[in-house]
Amino acid sequence: MTDQRIERLGELIVGYSLGLRAGETVRIDVPVVATPLGLAIAQAALRVGARPILAAKLPELEELLLREGSDEQLGWTSPIAACELAEVDAAVTIWAETNTRSRSRLDPRREQLRTVALGRLAAPLRARLGSGEARWCGVLYPTHAHAQEAELSYREYADLLLAACHVDGPDPAAHWRGVAVALAARAEALAPVRELRILADGTDLTLSVAGRSWIAADGRQNLPDGEVFTSPLETSARGEVAFSFPVAFGGHELDGVRLRFDEGRVVHAEARVGQQHLQAMLATDAGASLLGEVAFGLNPELDRPLRHIGLDEKIGGTMHLALGRGFAQAGGSNLSAIHTDLVLDTRAGAEVLADGEAIFRDGRFLHDVSAGGAA
Amino acid sequence: MRSDRLEALARILVRYSTAVRPGDVCVIDAPAHCSEFVLAVSREILRAGGHPVTRIELDGAVELFAREASEETLDWIDPGSEVVTEQADVRIVLDAEWNSRALATADPARLARRSRARSHLTKRFLERGASGELRWVVVGYPTLSAAQDAGLSLHDYEELLAATCLLDDPDPVARWEAFAVELQRAATFLATVDELHFLAEGTDLRLRVGGRSWVPCSGRENFPDGEVFTGPVESSVEGTIAFSFPAVYRAREVTGARLRFVGGEVVEATATSGQEFLRAMIAQDEGARRVGEIAFGLNESLTEFSRSTLLDEKIGGTMHLALGASYPETGGLNESALHWDMVCDLRCGGEVWADGRVVYRDGRFLPGVLK
Repeated sequence: MTDQRIERLGELIVGYSLGLRAGETVRIDVPVVATPLGLAIAQAALRVGARPILAAKLPELEELLLREGSDEQLGWTSPIAACELAEVDAAVTIWAETNTRSRSRLDPRREQLRTVALGRLAAPLRARLGSGEARWCGVLYPTHAHAQEAELSYREYADLLLAACHVDGPDPAAHWRGVAVALAARAEALAPVRELRILADGTDLTLSVAGRSWIAADGRQNLPDGEVFTSPLETSARGEVAFSFPVAFGGHELDGVRLRFDEGRVVHAEARVGQQHLQAMLATDAGASLLGEVAFGLNPELDRPLRHIGLDEKIGGTMHLALGRGFAQAGGSNLSAIHTDLVLDTRAGAEVLADGEAIFRDGRFLHDVSAGGAA
Repeated sequence: MRSDRLEALARILVRYSTAVRPGDVCVIDAPAHCSEFVLAVSREILRAGGHPVTRIELDGAVELFAREASEETLDWIDPGSEVVTEQADVRIVLDAEWNSRALATADPARLARRSRARSHLTKRFLERGASGELRWVVVGYPTLSAAQDAGLSLHDYEELLAATCLLDDPDPVARWEAFAVELQRAATFLATVDELHFLAEGTDLRLRVGGRSWVPCSGRENFPDGEVFTGPVESSVEGTIAFSFPAVYRAREVTGARLRFVGGEVVEATATSGQEFLRAMIAQDEGARRVGEIAFGLNESLTEFSRSTLLDEKIGGTMHLALGASYPETGGLNESALHWDMVCDLRCGGEVWADGRVVYRDGRFLPGVLK
């Protein structure tokens, strides 16, 4: 039976996030557990005359390949997926895990081979996203596994997640259009900044964002959403950063991550949990030890870590950095098969300086930029 | 399915039916609720050095499309289907559903439009299959839906299927190879025949098969299997056939179907139920009113009608006729988006005459006919 919120989420993605039009093609990457959302998106797409491709995934199959495939098989990707990714006007990724630890014992070398192959598969689509030829949206779907990770019941988790997507009420798109205006104003205010210095417990990191564009993440590319982000100058990061929240992905957990940067590159990395995985990740390719993103989380509905990076990076008042691939549309040029976000809790005892002047303290920007407020 | 049987099934499909070789692109089509099958087959494909590619059907996706797609979207072919059709070396298609009647209330004209739009894919699929570029197999599988249609418990349906597929046998492949020899004898005899004449209650049908090839089916393109088929000379079909079993196509059941042919074309189609659907399917294109296949079911381990065409057309003692596309490897020339197998029981009073001589009675070839 359908949950009306899921139907609204499908309509929000098709109407607001992607703005699909008649005759356009959309590929929906849907783990089988997220079937209701996959169908809701497909239904909304069909109703505007668009053409949905439901690319359903069995997570066990990818695990099987990682466990038993030869190097050649791990490096191979489907020509069907390649053709679809090259042709579609839009793509949706539904994130819905059924066991967040299913990859905990996998050989990191084999996993890396696979990551590189999948990165190569997605490269043409990424290029088309960068040039604006195609659109993409990633959406999180509630599962028992995610709820378990967040230490909540499934229902509590689903309620929280769907509230953060604002699909409780009848017109979610109106809410997100409002968010878009507010975040665009914030991005505009950050545009002239050349250098950012982030100060927090264990953190004193300086990076240059001169000439880069700040992008408002307003529910078009992620749901839930709410952040402003850019890609820092690749060789600019220097100093130390201590990340606050644990992250779990692909069967691995990272916690207590501390990184030291010099000339943009990680020169020292340690983690209280997941040290080995962190090192393997950094060794994926040349771009994996450079920053691809710096961002402010600005979704007020998200107020506590739920151990899912797609949510935690949006917690209002936090900041995050990503190792790996940068955003072409922000001016970023770093290339990597990885893009790993790590969150910094800047809600207490933290300050951000822009070209030497304080702009953000304890989770809040010091100047209101919303309509009618001071610039 | 019991795990030992599932493993046996996966081994047969990958090693025997499709003989997967290193580097083969192996596309598996299956609904999401049969994930255990997909995983077992994928593991065998990996072991054989192939590349499994899955096309998983989500619960409700097909009916959603049938209900919501615009006319233009009904005609649209997704790019992946084109790639699969042209590039797959192996296709393993699971014949399994959540609910075999999910499309029962869908508009037949929309379904026909959809299948017409996809007919060039069907044609390429059959061509590549006939030329050996593609090895494919359609597989029966125990699902609740299939069991319900057969009027059985899931347990009993699995037992039926396991017995027919020889999954509990220590060497099922050897048994299927032995069966292939038997089927070849029927094919060898039929290759000498020009005219076939089928007689049964309500049936008096003549057709010519001279110059066409009879194909013995021993578990390579269907599993389970057991038939010999050909494509009759298209214009030669004359007379009437009454189907004793319900004719099932795309979730629709047509009972008491009778077709009258003149000059190879259906000139009259009646049914006690589902007549409108039958006529809509026949009217979908030129080739849909002609016969694409004629076959004898020869699997003696199948005796009862189960509402699964894959199984029913193999029941020992039956014949079937398909309206629509013929298989190019038979020499058949008919093209259509349709391929609808309809089964006629010959076990009680049925007779087949070959070039004026009776060769088959009550569901069996007469002694001495098959050498």
